Amino acid sequence: MPSDTLDSTFAALADPTRRKILARLASGEASVKELAEPFEMTLPGVSKHLKVLERAGLISRGRVAQSRPCRLEAAPLREAADWVVRYRRFWEQGFDRLDDYLRELQREEGEGGERG
Amino acid sequence: MANGDDPALGREIIVTRVLDAPRELVFEAWTQPEHVKHWWGPKGFTTPFCEIDLRPGGVFLRCMRSPEGRDFWVTGVFREVVAPERLVFTDSFADAEGNVVSAADDGSGPDVPVERLITVTFEEHAGSTRVTVRHDGLEPGAERDLVSQGWASGLESLAEYVVEAA
Repeated sequence: MPSDTLDSTFAALADPTRRKILARLASGEASVKELAEPFEMTLPGVSKHLKVLERAGLISRGRVAQSRPCRLEAAPLREAADWVVRYRRFWEQGFDRLDDYLRELQREEGEGGERG
Repeated sequence: MANGDDPALGREIIVTRVLDAPRELVFEAWTQPEHVKHWWGPKGFTTPFCEIDLRPGGVFLRCMRSPEGRDFWVTGVFREVVAPERLVFTDSFADAEGNVVSAADDGSGPDVPVERLITVTFEEHAGSTRVTVRHDGLEPGAERDLVSQGWASGLESLAEYVVEAA
């Protein structure tokens, strides 16, 4: 997957309000007004978040001029959870731990504290 | 991931790291259970069980415990063991007895491959060791397998957060 798409997905998901908006949309489409209510936000405030989500491809907007209902687009989320990314993280984090462990082992050896 | 649009290329994973330790020690850390238990797996995971029969045809069985306490058993067979240079092994999800768990068991479908092939090379450079892990490309179904097995990561938690809130 292109990394810029992944970056925009990350950026969009980094905000707790936007995650809550996505969670709300997971149960069905909603208008901007409906989305604004539970968060006690102004319509422009919500619209700003929706623009970020839309740019990241995480939501789409309907064409009905007045309400323009928002709906969840799951594909980028799935992509972000893609196993390639996950496996890479798995190994990177394993290497971090191995690096720490090897330092610890060699420090102990240096101090004469042999260990299996 | 410049090759992400090409399914054939995008499905191969290569991760490499230079470690500040001699090759023999790094190889031991990978292949001796008492070492493996100290570092294997992502941050926050522990390895409560690890057995390794280090020879071509030998089997390993390992348990990774997530921070939430969920156990993931993994088994495999060594195809190549060239100490301290190279390891080639298969890698599959398993149960605690070491039986390979097929993806069919969790409803992903009987066509899903359950085995990954992993090659690890250890190269020494002036007292440091470059370790390279290569996953061969997987069949498309394999990702469903991995996803359904619930590999822990922040990303997945996010995705789950949204899906579960439905």
